[in-house]
Amino acid sequence: MNRRVFLKQCALWTAGLTLSPPVFRLIPELWAEPRASIVSITEGTDYPALVSKVLGPLGGIQPFVKKGQRVVVKPNIGWDRSPEQGANTHPEVVKTLVRLALDAGAAQVLVFDRPCNEERRCYANSGIKKAVESLGDRRAICTYMDNRKFIPVRIAKGKSINDWEFYKEALEADCYINVPVAKHHGGAGLSLGLKNIMGVIGGFRGKIHFSLGQRIADLNTVLKPHLTVIDATRILLRNGPQGGDLKDVKILNSLIASTDIVAADAYATTLFHLKPEEIESTQAAYQLGLGEMDLKKIKVVKA
Amino acid sequence: MKKRSNKTFPLLYWRRIAQTLFLLLFLVLFRLTDYKGEDQIPYAVNIFFRLDPLVAAAAMLAARALISLLLLSLIVIGLTLILGRFFCGWFCPLGTLLDLFQTVSPLKKEKSNVRRRNWKYLLLGFILLSAFLGFPVVGYFDPFSLLVRGMTLSVDPFFNYTVGSFFDFLYRHGPSFLSQISESIYSFFKDTLLAYNQKFFYLSLLSLLILIAIFALERIERRFWCKNLCPLGGLLALLSRFSWLRGHIQTSCRGCRVCTQICRMEAIDQTGGIASADCNLCLDCLHLCPDKAISFAFKKPEQRPVPLGISRRVFIGTLSSALILPTFLKVRAETKNPDPTLIRPPGAIKENFFLDRCVRCGECMKVCINNALQPCWLEAGMEGLFSPRLVPRIGYCEFNCTLCGQVCPTGAIAKLPLKEKQKTVIGRAYFDRNRCLPYAQGTPCIVCEEHCPTPEKAIKFREALVMNPEGKMVTIKQPYILESLCIGCGICENKCPLEGKAGVLVINNPEGMVLSKIAMF
Ligand code: SF4
Ligand code: SF4
Repeated sequence: MNRRVFLKQCALWTAGLTLSPPVFRLIPELWAEPRASIVSITEGTDYPALVSKVLGPLGGIQPFVKKGQRVVVKPNIGWDRSPEQGANTHPEVVKTLVRLALDAGAAQVLVFDRPCNEERRCYANSGIKKAVESLGDRRAICTYMDNRKFIPVRIAKGKSINDWEFYKEALEADCYINVPVAKHHGGAGLSLGLKNIMGVIGGFRGKIHFSLGQRIADLNTVLKPHLTVIDATRILLRNGPQGGDLKDVKILNSLIASTDIVAADAYATTLFHLKPEEIESTQAAYQLGLGEMDLKKIKVVKA
Repeated sequence: MKKRSNKTFPLLYWRRIAQTLFLLLFLVLFRLTDYKGEDQIPYAVNIFFRLDPLVAAAAMLAARALISLLLLSLIVIGLTLILGRFFCGWFCPLGTLLDLFQTVSPLKKEKSNVRRRNWKYLLLGFILLSAFLGFPVVGYFDPFSLLVRGMTLSVDPFFNYTVGSFFDFLYRHGPSFLSQISESIYSFFKDTLLAYNQKFFYLSLLSLLILIAIFALERIERRFWCKNLCPLGGLLALLSRFSWLRGHIQTSCRGCRVCTQICRMEAIDQTGGIASADCNLCLDCLHLCPDKAISFAFKKPEQRPVPLGISRRVFIGTLSSALILPTFLKVRAETKNPDPTLIRPPGAIKENFFLDRCVRCGECMKVCINNALQPCWLEAGMEGLFSPRLVPRIGYCEFNCTLCGQVCPTGAIAKLPLKEKQKTVIGRAYFDRNRCLPYAQGTPCIVCEEHCPTPEKAIKFREALVMNPEGKMVTIKQPYILESLCIGCGICENKCPLEGKAGVLVINNPEGMVLSKIAMF
């Protein structure tokens, strides 16, 4: 089954025409990586330039965004914190990705997240809303999420959860770009690419936390980003996921990009002087076959 | 039926225009009492309260201090001494709404009774005296408090819900061309007419019933509330006895007494005397007198003391109840043992000062970004009814927010700079180990710690070896609170994934409350 069939099922289900909730099953070919996973990394202080640079080894934005497509750029806007505090994705990184997608001819670029603090405050304080709006392009929309647009999805491959609500716009995107920020997390160890999926699911998210790592991996079987760009321009070392104390923030001026979300996370883990297998979600996702976590098998390219 | 009293635009129309404009201003300010993307609210959304001399008098008597925020009301006092009760006829949004109600469903026959006119003076006396003695009741009778609170707690959420579910229905079940149109209308409404979020309040029904009662009284007399009950009206009436602008009936009057009939305030007696204490300058009579015999002019008031018509017995009764009731409050159990779940907003001054100063206007509950502030029922004792408290399971106090202190008109909630607010301890959290998952069930859970907003987290973990639900011994992180870091914001209780009662709970912290001196300026 492909996305289109799935969406048709969703539509029927929401309209009440069928009683069985839609099942989204990725066909294995779609996510079997033909080549070794490439992780591109780069460093520098000019963040917009850095974004273009880190995409270089992956072929730029063109392989991902085609003319007329609907693109979702999904940053972390979880907290009512300012960019320096390192709890949210850096606004310049988000803005540049949106701009690149627009330049590649996207018909629409949506930016959204489901924050933990009051959403208007998070969108404002993170600087992301303003950054996206400053592009002055009507195709680029930084919107609050609409409660009515969460649809129940069966997670066929899930080991710990088997159904949850997902955001329709995220499932429907032709191109889904995942832009998390790398930071410490009290429960998950680290919050990286896989954890960022928490922003496009509905329901009472607190419930997910009982067996967090496995569940994050389960959720990721439903929605596989076409591209993951991990913002490590500054990373939060302690008191994550929201921080608040600049003493806990370390400036790294780096970005990590990959089409393999697990590989991206595995590499990002090393920035915290940890091993990929110490992060439960990375391990679980690897076991579900979502990507490569063995650093020896990952091709790291310095852009 | 346009009757032109003279060549110029009749004054009566000016009054209607003023009423409309002030009502609109009131509604716009009500809508603006919300987070609008700025940490500071740039408009004086509480301006109506700050103009209100009754609120000023009662709050200052209770606080025994000059509250500079409320000095604006001197303008109204000054104008009333010159113009009379123009406030009630031209300005007061509740008066305007009552007039509007009469236009929509006019009253056929008034069952008037002059003896009721004095109730408002008694009420006024009672309010002021008991405010002085520490029994704050002004908020239950002040017209702005009644109106803003009623709108905040019931009308607005109800309106929001109704409009929202209408568009929701179209979105879910309408054909797509229709839902496309309806969605764009909805988003326009959301930006203008509607509140950002659907809010939920305790006591919303009670607040609605109180409003309904005020309007229902219009079925007995026009402006029943204003003539007989409103203590603010009473205060202004007392001042108006000395006002300079007065209506007069000239000799050209042929005694048809149309004016007596039409006066909404029943200020014109059968002999044609216009009582300045009652007249609210609506100017209906000026416009409708067939002989054009009525004029309004400035005149130095003759010192004719008009008796208020309050019998000694009633007067003494009111006085003594105002004297006795406050004493009863001192011996209630709540005085000795306050409800531990009573958490006041950040910046609230010490409890007894707080209750004195809070005029139950509901502004803080309106503005609270997370719907966290809720009206008290009896948690703060009987006299605390409708005063604000934080209910973490409904909403938590947002770490970077200072809105409630900004809108409080009396300084009951001090306006705190953000840095100070973030350190203000409104309560303390504690774990209920019988419910908290890592303790009660050996299941890992860290949701509270993740959300705790203090830069160094007030929730810490220790590792413990416990038996999990499968009967295996596992090492698990068990959370605990570091009291010295906890500010009682309640986000942990709010986000705790347990259903019903949370595993971490916040109780109040009376010592942490701001001293009253901060609020005085
Ligand atoms: S209680 Fe907290 S969140 Fe609510 S208005 Fe006051 S400061 Fe803001
Ligand atoms: S109330 Fe809870 S979340 Fe708030 S500071 Fe205290 S422990 Fe942290």
